[in-house]
Amino acid sequence: MVTHLLETKNIKKSFGGVTAINNLSLTVEKGTIFGIIGPNGSGKTTLFNLITGMYPLDSGTIFFNGKNITGLRPHQIAKLGIGRTFQVPALFSKMTVLENVMVSTFIRSSSLKESQKMAWDILELVGLKEKANQQVNNITMEDRKRLELARALGTKPSLLLLDEVMAGLNPVEMKAAIELIRSLKTEELTIIIVEHIMDVILSLCDRIAVLDYGQKIAEDIPERITNNPEVIKAYLGERYRARN
Amino acid sequence: MELFIQTLIDGLLIGGLIIVVGIGFSLCFGVMHIVDFAVGEWVMLGAYTSYLMVRYFGHDPMIYLPILFLIFAGLGWLIYPLIYRAVSGKRHNPVIMGLVFTFGLSIMAKGGALSVWGYHIQSITTWLSGKSLSLGGLVTLPALRFAGFIFGIGVTLLFMIFLYKTKFGVIIRATAQDRETASLLGTDVKKIGGLVYSLYAGLTGMSGVLIGALFSIHAAMGAKYCTLAFFVVVLAGMGYVPGVIIAAFVLGLLQSLVGVYIGGRYNLVALFIVMYGVLLITPKGLLRRGI
Amino acid sequence: MEFQRETYSSNHKTSFFNLGILIFMIALLLFLPLFISPLWIRITTEVLMWAGLAQSWNIIGGYTGYLCFGHGAFFGIGAYLTGLLMVHLNWPFGFCLFISGILASFLAFFIGYPTLRLRGAYFAIATWAFGEMIRQIATILDITGGAFGMQLPAYLNLPFFYYIMLLVTGMTYLTTHLLLERARFGYRLLAIREHEEAAEMVGVDTTMTKIKAFALSAFFPGIFGGIYAYWVTYIHPDSVLKADITDFMVVMAFLGGIGSLWGPLLGAIVVQFIQRILWIVWGEGTFYLVIIGLSICAVVLFIPNGLIGLLEVRIHSPKESINFLMKKFKW
Repeated sequence: MVTHLLETKNIKKSFGGVTAINNLSLTVEKGTIFGIIGPNGSGKTTLFNLITGMYPLDSGTIFFNGKNITGLRPHQIAKLGIGRTFQVPALFSKMTVLENVMVSTFIRSSSLKESQKMAWDILELVGLKEKANQQVNNITMEDRKRLELARALGTKPSLLLLDEVMAGLNPVEMKAAIELIRSLKTEELTIIIVEHIMDVILSLCDRIAVLDYGQKIAEDIPERITNNPEVIKAYLGERYRARN
Repeated sequence: MELFIQTLIDGLLIGGLIIVVGIGFSLCFGVMHIVDFAVGEWVMLGAYTSYLMVRYFGHDPMIYLPILFLIFAGLGWLIYPLIYRAVSGKRHNPVIMGLVFTFGLSIMAKGGALSVWGYHIQSITTWLSGKSLSLGGLVTLPALRFAGFIFGIGVTLLFMIFLYKTKFGVIIRATAQDRETASLLGTDVKKIGGLVYSLYAGLTGMSGVLIGALFSIHAAMGAKYCTLAFFVVVLAGMGYVPGVIIAAFVLGLLQSLVGVYIGGRYNLVALFIVMYGVLLITPKGLLRRGI
Repeated sequence: MEFQRETYSSNHKTSFFNLGILIFMIALLLFLPLFISPLWIRITTEVLMWAGLAQSWNIIGGYTGYLCFGHGAFFGIGAYLTGLLMVHLNWPFGFCLFISGILASFLAFFIGYPTLRLRGAYFAIATWAFGEMIRQIATILDITGGAFGMQLPAYLNLPFFYYIMLLVTGMTYLTTHLLLERARFGYRLLAIREHEEAAEMVGVDTTMTKIKAFALSAFFPGIFGGIYAYWVTYIHPDSVLKADITDFMVVMAFLGGIGSLWGPLLGAIVVQFIQRILWIVWGEGTFYLVIIGLSICAVVLFIPNGLIGLLEVRIHSPKESINFLMKKFKW
C-alpha cells in the first residue's frame, strides 16, 4: 500500500466568524511538484500555516509520511522534514546571509562548524554565496527571496512549501526562480507551491489543486485545470495573465 | 452584612475614579501600540501640580481640574513627537522601543520629583475632605470618594461620547482597528496619535488631583498607579476601552474586599496574583476583546 | 572555498579578540587593589557587581529580546536566600551563594514557562508585576523579617568582596561569551529576537530555548544578591527588592548596548560614573536619576544600539571592527 507523503483529511479552520479552510482533503505524492492556486482569500496561506503547525486545526487530521502530525508544534514538524517559505521573507535582521541559513541547519548538524559548511553549500545552490557575509538589511528583494528559500532548505526538508515566491519579481527574475525550483525537485524533495501566476504553476507542476473559499473545487493535471468550468467560474472570468 | 455592603460601596467608589487612569492608557495602547510606563508618573505629576497650585494660588484644588487637564494635555502634545520618533525607528521592535522610552520618561519624572520634594509626603484637602453622607443610617458615603466616583463616571461618559459620537472619535477608533487602512483613507496617523496621547496625558494628570486629595502625595507614588493601570488594562484587554469600566470596578472591589477581610498588607499581593492569573489564562482580557 | 575560510577564520579571530580582552581585564583587575585606595576598591566592587547584573539582564532582554522589568527580584531573592541559609542552617558562604543562584534559576524556569508565552508589552508588564509581588511577599513574611528585614553578621573584609565580585562577574561575562556569542544557543536566541515565528519554523524550540535563557539570566543575579547581602550586612525589602535595581540593570544594558557582549560593562561604568559625579557636584541626591532617564530617552531616539553601537561595532559580534582595525594597521 502506497503512503502519500502528505495527506490532509477533512481539515477545518475558522477565525472568529470566518471559515478559512472548509473540509479540505488533499494528498501529495512523493517526488512531485504540487501546485495550489485560488483567488485571494481562498485559504492558501492558511493551509500552509495549518500544515506547519502554526495554527491549530479546528477539526480533521494531517498525516505526513504516514505519521499523524496534527497538533505538533512547528519546530517538531520542521524536524520531521517540512520546510516552508513565507510570502514576505521572514529573515533574521541582525545576522548575515550565511548566519540566517546556519540557524536552520542546527537541527541537522552537531556543531557550529558543520552548520557553517552546510549553510555555505546551500547558499551555493541558490546562488547567494557571493553575498554570504552581507548583512540581511542590505540585499535586494530577489536575494531576500532566495535567502528565504535557502533557509527553508537548511532544515533538509523532504517536503517544501513555497508561498508565493514569485511576488515582487520581474520577468527575468521569475524565469531564474522557475529554473531554480525545477532544479530542486528530486526523489527526495517534494514541493508544494502556492502561486497566483497561472503560467508559473502550469509550467512547473505535476498536479494542481484549486481552492476557493477554503474548499477544494478542483484537482487535476495542469492541462485539464485550465478548461475546468468550476475553476474558470471561481476566477469570475478574470484571467491571471503571466507577466511575460 | 453592613460591613460587607460598606466594603462593596467603597470598592465601587474607588473603582469609578480609577477608570480615568485606565481609559486613556488603554486607548493609547489601542491606537499607537504604546505601553506608557510613565502612566503612574503622570498621576504623580498631576497630584504635585495641584498641590503647588493650591499652595501658591489658594482655593480648592478641585477648581483646578480643567486647568490641569489643559496643562497635561499640552505636555503630552509636546512629548508625543519624541515618542513617535522612538516608535518609528526602523531598526528595532517599535513596541519595545516605545516601552523603554516611556520607561526613561518615568525615571526622569520620578527623579525630578524626588530631587525637588524628596521623600516627604504631602497632601491636599478640599472642601469635601472629611465630610460624608449617610445613606439611611446603614452605609456611609465619604464625600470626597463620592466626588471621585462622580468625576470618574462623568469623565468616562464624556470620553465615550467623544469616542463614539464625534468625527474625531470615529477616526481614532478606525486608526485603532487598522492603522494602515486608516492612513490610506487619508488619516494623518501621526496627528491622531498626538491627539490621543494628549488626551491620555490630560486625563491621567487631571485624575492626580482627586487621587492626591484622597491619598497621599509623594514622589514614589507612581509605581502604585502604574500597577493599577496595568491591572485594569490587563483585565479589560489591552486596547479595549469599554472593558476598562468593568475592570476598574473589579479592581476597586478586590482592593476593598481584601483590605477589609484579609488585611491591607495583602492588597498588592492579591492584585498581582489576579493580574498574573489573567495574563496567563486569558491574555486578551476577561472578555477576550484585547489586542 | 576561499570565501568560507575567510568567514570562519574571522569569526575565530573575533572570538579570540573578545576572550583576549576579557582575560586582559581580569588580569588587570586582579592586581588593581594593590594600587588603589579602599574607597576606589569599594567603588570598583560596586561597578563590577552592576556590570554583572546588567549582563545577566542582557541575556534575556538584549539577546533574546524579552524585556524583563522584574529582574531585580532574582537579586533580592538571592540576598534573602543566602542570608536565611547561612543564619538558620549555618551552611558555608560559597555553597549558599551557589544554592541561591540555582534556586533563582529554578524560580525563573518555573515563572518563565507560563510568562514567556506572552509577547513584548505583556511580558514586560507581567515581569514587572512579578517583581513588585516578590517585594510585597518579602514585606509580609515573618521569616524574612517583614518590612524590617534581616540583620546579618559582619562576615568578611573588603578585599574578599572585591575578589568574589570579580570572580562572579568574570564568570558572567565568560558564560555570555561562550554560550551566547560563539555558540548555537546564542544564534537561536538572536533568531527568536529577530523573528520568533520564523525561528520556530526552522526548527528552533522557541519555548525551551527562551526558558533556558531566562533561567540562565537569573542565576548570576541570585549569586550577586547573596554577595551583596553579606557585603552590606543589613537587607530589607526596599534595599534589595526595590524597582530601582531592575531599573539600573535595564538602563545600563541599554545605554551600553543591548545584545552586545561589552555593552553592559560600558553601561555600568558610565551610569556609576554619572551617579558619582553628580553626587560630588550636587551632593548625595536623586538628581542623577533625571540624567539617567534622559540618557535612556536619548539612547532610544538616537543610538538604539547603545554606546557600543557608536564604536561602529555590529551588535552580534565585532567582526567588522576586526576587519576595520586590520585595515587600519595593514596586517
